[in-house]
Amino acid sequence: MAMDTELGNAACSDYEALLEDYLDDELNAADAKRASEHWKNCAGCRAALEQAAESARLLRLAEPSADPGPAFARIVMARIRAAEQDRGVLWQPFVSLAWRVAATASLALALLVTYDAGWGHRPQPNASSTRLTGVSDLFSPDPANLPANGDEVLMMVAESNHGN
Amino acid sequence: MSNVPKSMAASAPALSLPLVRGEKQEDRELVRLSQNGTEAAFEELVRRHQQRVFALVGGILRRPEDVQDVAQQVFLKAYLGIKRFDQRAAFSTWLYKIAVNECWDYLRKRKVRPLVYEADLSEEQVSRLDGIVSAERPPQGPNERAETRELLERMLSALPEQDRQLLVLKEVEGFSVQELAEILKLNVNTVKVRLFRARGRIMDVYRRRMATANKAGTASAGQRKG
Repeated sequence: MAMDTELGNAACSDYEALLEDYLDDELNAADAKRASEHWKNCAGCRAALEQAAESARLLRLAEPSADPGPAFARIVMARIRAAEQDRGVLWQPFVSLAWRVAATASLALALLVTYDAGWGHRPQPNASSTRLTGVSDLFSPDPANLPANGDEVLMMVAESNHGN
Repeated sequence: MSNVPKSMAASAPALSLPLVRGEKQEDRELVRLSQNGTEAAFEELVRRHQQRVFALVGGILRRPEDVQDVAQQVFLKAYLGIKRFDQRAAFSTWLYKIAVNECWDYLRKRKVRPLVYEADLSEEQVSRLDGIVSAERPPQGPNERAETRELLERMLSALPEQDRQLLVLKEVEGFSVQELAEILKLNVNTVKVRLFRARGRIMDVYRRRMATANKAGTASAGQRKG
């Protein structure tokens, strides 16, 4: 490219990037002064600057993309809602399965806790219950068989213990 | 729209300039609300950025029939990913990166190249463009401006794709060098140097087309005389 050969030395290539800032009016004062000095004395860079400015003028004649209007945002939101709904439908079987598993697990846990707390440890019909019955008999004697004296009391206690 | 701050509820007009600091601050608030599930806040973000997303997607794809679909997809992806967006970068930068990736994905999946004009500029089109460029007044009205854009796009087709995109996004669509660097993941200086070289190439193409058209015009005038 003709311009590249004109700017073929390192000093000039440093001004390539500055040129873009110059076109955008974004050069700081120090760089603007340095670049102006260079462009004044370098025909190649001056030509490049003019060419760049011309390209900007040419391209800025084109119509930028139009705003799609307020309907676009509404279409996007409708599409988002549809996508969200689809996602819900997609996960629905997994969600209901998860709920069923959770409910079953909770029920099983509740049964286990209840069993552990009392129902699983009902008194067994064995020694301890007999002993309680015996004690109960001792302190709530049948009025028809009341002992007549101290010896009979001792005999009853001995019998009761012997029976256990 | 009840949860969106009042100052933001009235949607901004078409944004053709880079967002200023206040707008970025409002974007941050809208993003925060969107992350908390406020749909209206996201809708406002769509309104604020739709024009720039259209410009970016249109600058890369150039197929008007695809731009609408891809732009919708961009906002859908942004919505689905907004909870993971940590706001370290500006929302616009994050959104434009999604847009660029979506364009590449689209081109890859469809196995299409961006629209390439089959015919170069005709002699008549070159003189039309010459008339527009040398006219005292810029193109007036949407039709004339749209025609100018088409003529320029045809001329830009002669450039490598990256040069074309940079020039269109910078000069036609108004993206700043800083934005282009962030969107295209390039160093700022690299963007400037590439733009500088692309400018040289487009002006070479322009002068060659003009020279060819002038030569053809002279020849046909000579034939008529003869």
